[in-house]
Amino acid sequence: MLVRYVARRFLASLVVVLGVTLITLILMDRTRGTYVPGIDLNPALRPEDIEHLRENLGLDRPFYVWYLTWLGSVLHGDFGHSMIDGSPVLSHILDRLPNTLELTATAIVIGVLVAVPLGVIGALRRGSKTDHALTVTSVAGFAVPQFWMGLMLILIFSVTLEQNGLPWLPSSGAYSAFNGGDFLDRVEHLILPATVLSFFYTSQWSRFIRSSMLEVLSQDYIRTARAKGMSERRVVYLHGLRNALIPLITLIGLELPGLVSGGLVVEVVFGWPGIGKLAFERALQYDYTTVMGVTFFATLLVIAGNLLADLLYGALDPRIRYG
Amino acid sequence: MIGPSRVAELDMPAAGVETAAARPAQSYWNQSWERLRANRLGMAAGVLILVLAVIAVLAPVFSAVLTHYQPQTINLDQTFARPGATHLLGSDELGRDSLTRLIWGARVSLGVAFLTVALALTVGTTVGMVAGYYGGWIDDVLMRLVDTVLAIPAIFLFILMSILFRPNAVTLAAIVASVGWGSVARLVRGEVLSVKQRDFILATRSIGARDSRLMVRHLLPNVLPVLIVAASLGVGQIILIEAALDFLGLGIQPPTPSWGNMLTNAQSYFFHSGFLVAFPGITIFVTVLASNIFGNGVRDAFDPRLKG
Repeated sequence: MLVRYVARRFLASLVVVLGVTLITLILMDRTRGTYVPGIDLNPALRPEDIEHLRENLGLDRPFYVWYLTWLGSVLHGDFGHSMIDGSPVLSHILDRLPNTLELTATAIVIGVLVAVPLGVIGALRRGSKTDHALTVTSVAGFAVPQFWMGLMLILIFSVTLEQNGLPWLPSSGAYSAFNGGDFLDRVEHLILPATVLSFFYTSQWSRFIRSSMLEVLSQDYIRTARAKGMSERRVVYLHGLRNALIPLITLIGLELPGLVSGGLVVEVVFGWPGIGKLAFERALQYDYTTVMGVTFFATLLVIAGNLLADLLYGALDPRIRYG
Repeated sequence: MIGPSRVAELDMPAAGVETAAARPAQSYWNQSWERLRANRLGMAAGVLILVLAVIAVLAPVFSAVLTHYQPQTINLDQTFARPGATHLLGSDELGRDSLTRLIWGARVSLGVAFLTVALALTVGTTVGMVAGYYGGWIDDVLMRLVDTVLAIPAIFLFILMSILFRPNAVTLAAIVASVGWGSVARLVRGEVLSVKQRDFILATRSIGARDSRLMVRHLLPNVLPVLIVAASLGVGQIILIEAALDFLGLGIQPPTPSWGNMLTNAQSYFFHSGFLVAFPGITIFVTVLASNIFGNGVRDAFDPRLKG
């Protein structure tokens, strides 16, 4: 049953992967014009060299031929070489992916650690001043532009502190260019971008946990647990919270695509050398191979995230059956 | 075609029920409006949005009467002026008045947001309704299309499309809507699937109504509450997306002022003019906050099942 379900989902997602990569390629092909990627590196090129380069990159052929060629090599595990700098696309992606994972994973963990207690408090003290304050904060959290919050944090914690001779936080990059790269250095660089991302997650998830918790606490089995004299603490945490957390899994799974596109703005503001920034820069340069490689991985992540969320959901909640 | 006599027959029992009721009949729309009016915070937020919309429409009047500057007038003697009597919210690196640019920027932000919502709703509703109503392979094809659209990392689409169509307010709205319609289509399809099972649809079909009439006259009104809620909750999110695109240089291009592109350069002037970063951000924040609060109010009023 489960195997068949996963197999069917997998087949359906193959269609989506093909669709997404094809749309991306068509858009690039339609917008590129006569530009040949990488051409600006070498202003002394003669017209025949440019023509030669075009042929080398396969850009003289129609997009569907290019697509099939690309697809063929991807099926052999070869993502090709960047059209801009010539290095393997896969090594580009594997270079940047750890940085992105570091940032997003930190933000998600902090987000959950903060959101769960806040959501539970809001639900247990429904209607109290604390609850209202939490509601206001989370509604506000929805309305803050991420890039602006990033800029303001840099203004306060990097610029202003530094101008006043106080210890300040680095505003850009994942580690210091000189003598950097040890654990403390990375943590220092991580603080500001992770704060922005996790603030966003927290405001979203704490509301969610609050309403999920409220719903669970009104169930019959909670009344039963109370009626048999179980301590309130055990009722809330053992029976309530465990069930209230189930839907959160789906929500976190849905954040996986954010690994690429959601964190992009934060990566750009903080100069974070992640996969989103890579995609952004390379799309502006029409680096076909790199963009297609990142798109491929990003789409796989979206699909894997959704599937993983569904499966975990079923594992945590035996009431759910796969049809 | 439905003859007038048959419609009259169908209408009669309904009229009978109305007269039989003790209190005056209150339509769903009246009830929702009453619920919305009772929500003071929501109404205040709605009024604020309305005021901002008026400011956006009358931007030329405001900049002539209130600030006495034009949004693109450069004055190199007045660069980086602090907020004060001459420049209420200061001036930027070219001596342009920040308040004037914010007022004109409202045209872009609100205009694009409303247009995007309108486009996404139109396309999404059409696709969702056709998919839900006809079902079968049409449904399969359309929903796989929706899956694909929702699985594309949106930012690629924005980057590539913003190069394809040199973004002005209209094309930018089209670009953002090209992703936004997907979730609307899913929402509408879900509603249609449940509504089309009801007896009145069977009744309407049995008297020979055509598909198009069924969809427009009978399904659409039932989907409308969901659409109103989606629209009012969507405006704030789209203002945020649009501002981020402008900030990244993918949206409205300078010198046309927008709240997002006013922040693009501000990062370079951190060290002496932090206010250039603060004001556009606060404007975006307040506007989105008001839209979200109003959107929540609309949701509670029009779709009380979802009250959170």
